[in-house]
Amino acid sequence: MSESYEYILKTEHVRKNFGSLEVLKDINLSVKKGEVICIIGPSGAGKSTFLRSLNQLEKITSGKIFIRDELFLHRENDHTVDRLPREKQQELLLEMGMVFQRFNLFPHKTVLQNVCEAPIVVKKEKKDVVEARARELLSRVGLSEKADEYPSRLSGGQQQRVAIARALAMNPEIMLFDEPTSALDPELVGDVLNVMKELAGSGMTMLCVTHEMGFARDVADRVLFMADGIIAEEGTPEEIFGNPKVERTRNFLKSVLEV
Amino acid sequence: MKAFDFKKYRKQIIAAVIIVAVCIILGVLKPGREALLSRTSPEMQKLIDADAGSSRKRVTVTYNSLLVISYASLSSSGANVMSERYVGFLGKVYRADEGAARIVGQMVNYTYRMLGCGENLMHGAKLTVLLTTLTVFFGVLLGTVLALGKISKRKLLAKISSAYIFFFRGTPLLIQMFVVYFTVPGIFGFAWRDLFPASDAEAVYKGAFTAALIAFALNSGAYCAEIVRSAIQSIDKGQFEAAKALGMSYGQTMTRIIIPQSIRRMIPNVSNEFIMILKDASLVFAISLMDITTISKNIMTSEGSYLVFIPALVIYLVITAFFGFLFDRIEKRFSVYE
Repeated sequence: MSESYEYILKTEHVRKNFGSLEVLKDINLSVKKGEVICIIGPSGAGKSTFLRSLNQLEKITSGKIFIRDELFLHRENDHTVDRLPREKQQELLLEMGMVFQRFNLFPHKTVLQNVCEAPIVVKKEKKDVVEARARELLSRVGLSEKADEYPSRLSGGQQQRVAIARALAMNPEIMLFDEPTSALDPELVGDVLNVMKELAGSGMTMLCVTHEMGFARDVADRVLFMADGIIAEEGTPEEIFGNPKVERTRNFLKSVLEV
Repeated sequence: MKAFDFKKYRKQIIAAVIIVAVCIILGVLKPGREALLSRTSPEMQKLIDADAGSSRKRVTVTYNSLLVISYASLSSSGANVMSERYVGFLGKVYRADEGAARIVGQMVNYTYRMLGCGENLMHGAKLTVLLTTLTVFFGVLLGTVLALGKISKRKLLAKISSAYIFFFRGTPLLIQMFVVYFTVPGIFGFAWRDLFPASDAEAVYKGAFTAALIAFALNSGAYCAEIVRSAIQSIDKGQFEAAKALGMSYGQTMTRIIIPQSIRRMIPNVSNEFIMILKDASLVFAISLMDITTISKNIMTSEGSYLVFIPALVIYLVITAFFGFLFDRIEKRFSVYE
């Protein structure tokens, strides 16, 4: 799309409650096209919930979500106040690719079928066009020779790279990564991170919830430190890792980096 | 899906081939009707010859053939009551009026009748297998619809499905069948046999079978709904999320991602349901259909034979074993990706 916009993604005062538990307390974030943002923080801080509410896997309790400067969704007290029409919403949601901690590949489909499924079924693209693109993506993540295997035959790291290829097959503008390496054996993490680095280098807009501090330091344009449902501190990797201003950030970094 | 793995089943295949070959050889060697009847005693033959010229038959001739063994019985009524039985096996004809030979002859005759050989499709084992297979087929289809209804977010749909399941699981199948067979035509003023042309000699049986199938399928649908529902809900939530994140609609997610994965998990329970229906099928005795159970009971009452239930058990066991094996194969086929 050629229309110009300032922020590809923006949230204002996003809150999310699970019953009486306040998971997100007031999240304000603006993302420009091409930015790579890493979200770090202790578990239970609401990082995953925030990511999942962006692509509507969770319904926010209140707040506003803008996509390409358009008010995508506005909710107050668990009621939708304003939103784009459903078709438009659906169209914008397709611009967000998601990679899960537990891969969530379709076990009954081969690697190639996993990657081709959504473009064929959702976007109604031609099968041969999609397949050619899927094979290209699989070679990009280094798995062209696994195209006809079932996911169960692959290692965790390989499965996660397939999941990335599957999300990329929809040609999204933003990629959301929800702790993509947390479920992997340590020796498999590198391959996945390399794919993500390559992706960041190609100019993809990325939001990564991660515990890989090295990756955040090397790749991120901006690092958010989340704790107790708020963004406690944000800044460039140099600022966050070099000179954290907030006490909680310091303690957190100390505990993860010194292990 | 992989092609059939011949190497893995070599022993079974060899065994099956040998059994089939032996059956064919024994079948060819088996004495036929003419051979059995040629042994008839002169007295009986006289009566048969007399029958040929008159319209009133005094001799009843029965001939049964079961693959490898044949059986004939002749019995006369009237002033001159006689009966003779013969068993043919391996090219020889044996007199079977007493002892072990007589029991063998009876077994052949009973099995023949319970399988429904030579009778119309709505008799014996054929009826049981046909009714069960169709019931489970339609039951699973209906069950899938009901399961999707029950887990649907639309309250009304979920309520209707729950009520349906509650009703059909909470009332006896026999009465449900009576309602379909007697009450429904009573209210709407039709007869089940009228669905088939009057010239069809089997119209009564076909009509009753249709009614039974409807009742059975409606009932099985309620049980299958629970099977399908629990299979669907056993699929990892991550599968729904991944499909949603890729932009797939609820319908697409169900038909392309969730249901294909739940099929394998349904199979053991559907297999169980199949065997339950197979045995419940004996309820059709109540609407004039003749299944294995009804026929064996009738033989018991009319001929006083207490042995008749043994071949009945064997027939049920063979059918169950066959379908058990079949479901096992299907389950393996569906689990190639695991």
